[in-house]
Order: sequence, then structure tokens, then C-alpha cells
Amino acid sequence: MSLEQFKDRNVMQNYTYIPVDNPPVEPIEKFKQVVKRTFKGELFVGLWVVFREMVRFNIHTVKYPMEKLPISPRYRAVHKLYRLLESGNERCIGCGLCEKICIANCIRMDTRYDENQRKEVTEYTINLGRCIFCGYCAEVCPELAIVHGQRYENASEQRAHFVLRDDILTPLDFLKEGKQEEFDGFGAVSPNADERIKKTPLAY
Amino acid sequence: MITLTIDGQKIEAQKGETILQAARRAGLYIPTMCYLTKVKPIASCRLCVVEVEGADGFILSCQAPALDGMEVRTNSAELFSHRQNIMKLYDVNHPLECGVCDKSGACDLQNKTLEFGVAEQEFSARDHKRDLRKWEFIGYDESLCILCEKCVHVCNEVIGDDAIEIFYGGYNSRIQPKGTEELECTNCGECIAVCPVGAMISTDFQYRANAWELEKIPASCAHCSAGCALSYERKYAGACEAGEQKIYRVTNEFEFATLCGAGRFGYDFENRVDGKDEAAFGKAIEAFRKADTIRFTSRITNEEALILQRLKEKYGYRLVNQDAYNYRQFLESYATMSGKTLFGGSLSALADADGIIVMGSRILTDNPAVRYHITMASKRQNARIIYMHPMEDKAMQNVVTQFVKYEVGTEEGVVALLAKALLDGKVDVKKIENFLSDLDEGYLSAESNVGEEELEAIRKSLTRCKRIALVVGEDCINHPRAAQIARLTALFERFGGISVLPVAPKTNSLGVALICDLDSTCGDYTVGYNAPGDFVLSSFGDGDLDMPALNQQEGTFTTLDKRIVPTNVALPYGGYVLNDLASELGVKAVYTIDYTEQLPEEKGFEKIRFDDIPYYFSNRDGEVRGYTLKRLKHPVDSSVEEVAELPEFNGAILYRCDPVLQFGPQTYRTSQLGKEEPTLYGSQQFAIAAKLTDGVRVRLSVNGTEMERVFKIDPELKGTIALNPTFDLGLSEDLLSSDYRYSQSKIEVVGQANE
Repeated sequence: MSLEQFKDRNVMQNYTYIPVDNPPVEPIEKFKQVVKRTFKGELFVGLWVVFREMVRFNIHTVKYPMEKLPISPRYRAVHKLYRLLESGNERCIGCGLCEKICIANCIRMDTRYDENQRKEVTEYTINLGRCIFCGYCAEVCPELAIVHGQRYENASEQRAHFVLRDDILTPLDFLKEGKQEEFDGFGAVSPNADERIKKTPLAY
Repeated sequence: MITLTIDGQKIEAQKGETILQAARRAGLYIPTMCYLTKVKPIASCRLCVVEVEGADGFILSCQAPALDGMEVRTNSAELFSHRQNIMKLYDVNHPLECGVCDKSGACDLQNKTLEFGVAEQEFSARDHKRDLRKWEFIGYDESLCILCEKCVHVCNEVIGDDAIEIFYGGYNSRIQPKGTEELECTNCGECIAVCPVGAMISTDFQYRANAWELEKIPASCAHCSAGCALSYERKYAGACEAGEQKIYRVTNEFEFATLCGAGRFGYDFENRVDGKDEAAFGKAIEAFRKADTIRFTSRITNEEALILQRLKEKYGYRLVNQDAYNYRQFLESYATMSGKTLFGGSLSALADADGIIVMGSRILTDNPAVRYHITMASKRQNARIIYMHPMEDKAMQNVVTQFVKYEVGTEEGVVALLAKALLDGKVDVKKIENFLSDLDEGYLSAESNVGEEELEAIRKSLTRCKRIALVVGEDCINHPRAAQIARLTALFERFGGISVLPVAPKTNSLGVALICDLDSTCGDYTVGYNAPGDFVLSSFGDGDLDMPALNQQEGTFTTLDKRIVPTNVALPYGGYVLNDLASELGVKAVYTIDYTEQLPEEKGFEKIRFDDIPYYFSNRDGEVRGYTLKRLKHPVDSSVEEVAELPEFNGAILYRCDPVLQFGPQTYRTSQLGKEEPTLYGSQQFAIAAKLTDGVRVRLSVNGTEMERVFKIDPELKGTIALNPTFDLGLSEDLLSSDYRYSQSKIEVVGQANE
């Protein structure tokens, strides 16, 4: 695979300029602008709009925390660890890539050789006090096991609450009810993944 | 010297060197998959092919000798596609489990697959069930194996176990234990080290960490006097532990150095101490003020030995360390005959020798590094290996060409007979010439049971040898007549041009022997440092004041190779160290390693700072670690004492000998090696002589130290000598370590093993 497309760092390629008036330079020009803005009555226009909307009871303010805005699937809040849909096993294979790529150095894990000759993750922690929510862990995960959730409220009284595996792992009953939604945010497989995949002739 | 051109660059090579060796030494890269510097070319991967001007086809650079004027190309479009095809074949059905594989990140197959741009797979083969095998320390995953044969070759050519082989069967080929169903070897783990993929793995380390997250701490092994190079690999102790560090495994630079199983699997002998225990420290200072003796073992660094010596100079303590004392006596007697302060032998001389005599040591367990060098000599230049010992060692049969059995206790007579056989006609000093010609051969032969024919066979097999080495073991060093034996062995070096290597019994016996002015007996009040005493400083956590273990300290060891090798701190230690005690007592230094440059130059040490001691490996220089002690001139005394009357040992004899992988309390404390049950192994004959049956529990008393052992019959042993381990005795192991290794003891049956 060529890296050309990643190496092109000319970010201005598809941008269009929006013409903006030059700001005044001469003192007299500046003075004129101030007078114009002061006496044009824009302030009253604004006040009128507020008053009008108030009497109509057409209020757009979200009553947080009773009400929350829907957020994009690409939003990067507190992580989740997913399970395999059928078996309920953890998706995480303990490869350690998230731990390696984490630039805040906040992920740690313990793994071991389990009774089924597999690599088992015995401990997994993310120190949310250090996490910068860059999303690299979700992006690097080969199993789509660690993803970014939508829970952005993570204030706590104790640092110890930041954060244990049990808090972010999909609970089993939750999984059985089908509430673990497949993730299509940051780091998810691309919509055209099937076309991009290269087949390996494995004659198993 | 010959000159050849590789990729347009003129390089010099020695005669007999291969193209690959010449290229590597010049820093030029030729990809390889199966090449291992320390064994003969394996030539199974075909990746090292090069083009040579004027030669048809590709040439294997690992085998082809470099010739004068040769023009070599290491890279071209054809070579690249050839190598790419090889990598494609290697990748056929290789399980895509890099995510969990231990080798991932340090895998030759991954690296070369990327290097040759194998992005897709065109070949395939019908696969079958492949086994996962697990032995005690070593596991083998057949499906990951690429059959490079490195493990087989290193096991045969360097280690000498010859325990694994290739099962040839086309696509079904695999590695399997040789001649046995299960793997039976000395568990050195070198096959794990050399495996380029994750096929040979450490069962303990498997799936516990990844190669890239482990921090390598270059150090020297603290278990035996070879002080092999190793890296402690550490990372945090657990996902939820704050700040704790733990060693996960030990690796070695396997291209140039070899490591035994004790070094590789016995690494967690640390003494974890979090805070400074001021009360205990105060008591220790009091004890030092009261004491007249410091007793210590040789498992300390040179710097600590120097601190103890300085304390002696200031306060007049007696320094008691029996095994180093004996070794020092041996070396001093040796010097009076050889004319040099140190012996001439070294490990590299051993590996280069074409004739080797091993005298008075069960070398396989006493010092694996020496054994590996003997194996290398045997396999590389077909060296004659003569093994002289009262007990035959089955595991050494692969390399030993002649086994000479002598009676217990007759080492002095045997060395004298050997001197006569090998040095006859070469001695030009009248006194010694007379001594050799006046030897009462009849008496010595009869008592030692070494016949004239055997000596003649030794002489004959060594006549053609140009580089002969003599390995002298602990049986001689701790012999009651060690001084005389030392002077006799020095004859070999002085007159026979034979390099003599006395195997130091413990990690730093040589360093302590050179640095400390030792005394032989204790006074009234003894401070023990890792040794018994009235006040005990211990790195085992059971003393009156805690001390750091050797993987928690920085400093240097003096190896039996006469090399000063550095070791570094792999694990933190929060308590007091010997330097703190010494500083409180007025022998002041900020760090223990401040003493490195003060090591006595008159003994051959160099004035060099700890941080300036080199420790690296390179293709050009191989292993560059530490520096070698200087051999200085010593006055010669050519008078020789008559051989004393040879002692007789009859009946059941115990031989102090730890099993493979055990070197003392340190190895027994580790999680992987500590499971070993201390067992008294004897032959059927011994069982009859001592009136024992297989599996009984016995109580022994060896020179006043009581111990309980399970007795087992080992069918491979012969004679009435049993192997009695001491690794489980903790601090009191030190009391026995300087006695003559053979002893007779009342053996009392106390029950059955499973009771």
C-alpha cells in the first residue's frame, strides 16, 4: 500500500476563501465604524427577538442535565470494552497495541496464559485522569474491542474511580438484551471494508 | 588479509571468513533468517543469497568463503524477488496470531515480511492439526515454527544437550525431543532465545507481556562465577499497582553470548524492602561496633568486597569467607609456581582449544558456561575432551572422548600422574624434573585407580593438540591439599603451554579473593552478611537487617574468565545498603559504585569509573563487556613437595553437588526454580551400601549441618557416591561451601517421601 495519500499535507487543497472586509486603519474610519454600530439599533433588534421568542414559549435551550443533546458517533468520550455478540467473551485479545500507542500513557493491562491455551486479559485499566481522548486506542484496536462511548460526564470525587475494566466492559445482561450497539465511530471498520480486504488463500 | 568488494565498497576480510561474516563486520547488511553467529552455517533459509561477479546463479553468503578480489552484490531486482518469494513461502499458513504471540514486535518473520513487502499471499497448502507441546520451562508451538533449525543447532553445537531434532516429513516437519517422548535436557532455554518466531517459548512468560513494553536492563548473571551477560526485562508489576516494577523475563544477546537456565529462569530473587528500618540500622551499627568478625559469602559485588576490606583496615575486623579463602590460597600457591599472579586460562581459550582436560568438577552443574565452551570446542574443532572425575556424567557423553575415573580424595596423586604423562621431557628445571621422575607411579596408580594405559591414552590423544586447556574444579580447590594441587596444575601452564582455568566456586570468589585480606577463623562476635552470624545482614529477608539482592544493586563481578563485568539495578530497593552502614562507620562514599575505580590496581584491576566500563555487542567486536584483569609477575618458587599419602574413602559417600539450574539459596528462592525438591540421588549400588530404598526420607549430618532429604535411585549413576544438594539450606549453605565436597555421613532413615 502506498503512503502517498497520507503524505500529502497540503490541507488547503479543497478550501475556498470567504471574502472579508478589510478592517479600518485610519482613526477617522474607526470612529465612524463605532458610531455606526452604536446607533444602528442592532441591540434592539436582538432584544426584540429574545422578547418575541419568550412570549411565544418557543425556547431552544437544552435543560442540561435533565436533557442532553444527541452526539455524533464519532464523539470520543469515556471508553467502552465490547464483547463478542454470540459467545459473550471479551473481544479484547490482549495484544497490547492500545497500551503501546497511547500517547498519554494511561492504559495498562495484565495478561496471562489461561486454561484454554488462550491469552486472557486479567486486568485492564484506563487512567481517565490522564486520558486525552485522542482516540488512538480505538483506532489501533484490531478487534474493535475498545471503542469510545458517549458518556462524557466523568467528574468524580476519587481518582480511583478513573477507571476499571468492570465500569467500561459491556455487562453480560446488557449484551443479552442486545443493547451493545455495533460501533461506527472513530476507528470502526470503514463502510467499504469488504472491497478493500485482501484475501489470503488459507486451505484450512 | 584479503580484499573484496561488496556493493562497490572495498572491505577487508580474514582468510577463511565467509562473505556474510566479512559483510557483517564491515557493517553491511545481508538479510538472513537461519544464520546464527555462534554455530556453523545452517543454510536452511536461503535468504542470504548474493550475486558474485563471474559466478553463475546465486551464492549462499553464509557458507561461501570470501575470496580476494571478489565482487559481490547483495541487492538487485532478482535477489529481491527471490527473497520475496522465500518470505511468501514462510508465510504460508503461518497463523495470523501476531496479536497474542509473545514474539510479536521482535519477530524476524514479521520484520522480513515487511522488509520484502509481502502484502498478499499467493500460495497455500492444506494444513493439518499441529500440536502445542509444553514441558516444564519450554513450550513449542508447531504451527508457528518455520523450521530454521537454529534451536537444534544451538542445542547440539553450543549447549551440548543434543535434546531436540528435526522430524523430517516435508510439510509435516517439526522439532521434537530427540530419542525421548518428552523433552529431557538441562533446560537452558537457549532454544527459546534463538527462535526467530514464537514457536519456542518460555512457558512462564507466555502471554504475560509484549516485547516492546519491556525495559531491558543490561546486567551480569549473579548465580555462578561465569557472570554471563543477560538483560533483565522489566515493566510495571501489575495494571493496578502504583509504581511497582517487576522482572518478567531474562533474555540474552544470543548471537554472541550463551545463558544457562538458572540465569534465564531464576531471576526473581529480589528482597523487596520499601522503607528504611532505622531501628534495625541502629542495631546493625551497634553490632558492627561490638563485632570482631565479618562473615560473608562470595555472592557480593567487588565494590562491597572493597567496602568490607576498608572496614577491616579501619577497625581490624576479621574477614571470614571460607570459599574465597580457599580459592585465594589456591591462586597464591598457583602463582608461586606459574610466575604470574593469575592463571592463564579463559573461556575463549577453552572454546578455541583442541584438547581439554576437565579435572575434579562435575562441570555440567558446577558451571554451565564452562561446559558450553567445552561443547563448542568439541563441535567446532573436534577437540579431545578428557573428563576426570570419580563419577561419570551421562549428560556429558555427547562431547567427552575419554572418561577417567579416579578414587575420591586422590586428586593430588591424579594431577601428579597427569603432569608426568603430559610434561615428561618438557620440564627444564632440575628440581621439578626430579620430582616427576621420582614419582611413585605404582602407588599413585593403585590408590587413585588411574591406570598406566589410561594415562598413556591421554598422552597419545593430546600429542597432536596445539591448544590444550585444563579445567580445574572445586574438588581440587577445596581439597585439603589444595595448595600442593595448585602448584602441580601450575606446572601445566609453565612448562606445557596449557591454559589452566580453575573454576571459581561462587559468583565472585575471584573478586573477593583478590580484594579482601581474608582470615580463616571467626572471633567472638560475628556480623554475617548473607552468612550465619550473631547479627545477620541478609538479602533473603530473614536477617536482622535487610540487604538488597544482586539484581537490586549496581556494581561489578570478577568472573572466572578474569573479567570485571558490570551489573545494573533491575529492581528498586528502598532499604539500607552496605555502603550506608560503612558510611555511618566512617568509611564514606556517596554511592557503592564510587569504589569501582578504587579497586586495587596492584591486583590487576583497572582504575576505571563504573559508568565507563563498556557493555555492548557488535558484529565487529562480538561481546564487549567489562575489562580483563592484568596478569602481573610473581616470584617463582620451584621447589616441589612430595605427594602426600592419598586418603581413602570407603562405603557410601556424599558429594556436595546441586542439581542442574540450582546454585544456592538465590536460585531456590525464585518462583520458577524454587519448586525443586532437594533430593539425594544415588545409584542402586549406593542404595545397597547405605541400606536405603528408593523414595525414603533420610536425615543427614554433613560436617555438623543437619538436613533432611528424599532419597531417589538414579539409574544413570554408578558407584557408591550420591549427589547431595545444598541449595535449600539458606544461609547455612555457606558453612558447607568451603569443605571438601566428598564426605561420609551417617544416613538415618526417618520415613517415606510422601509422609
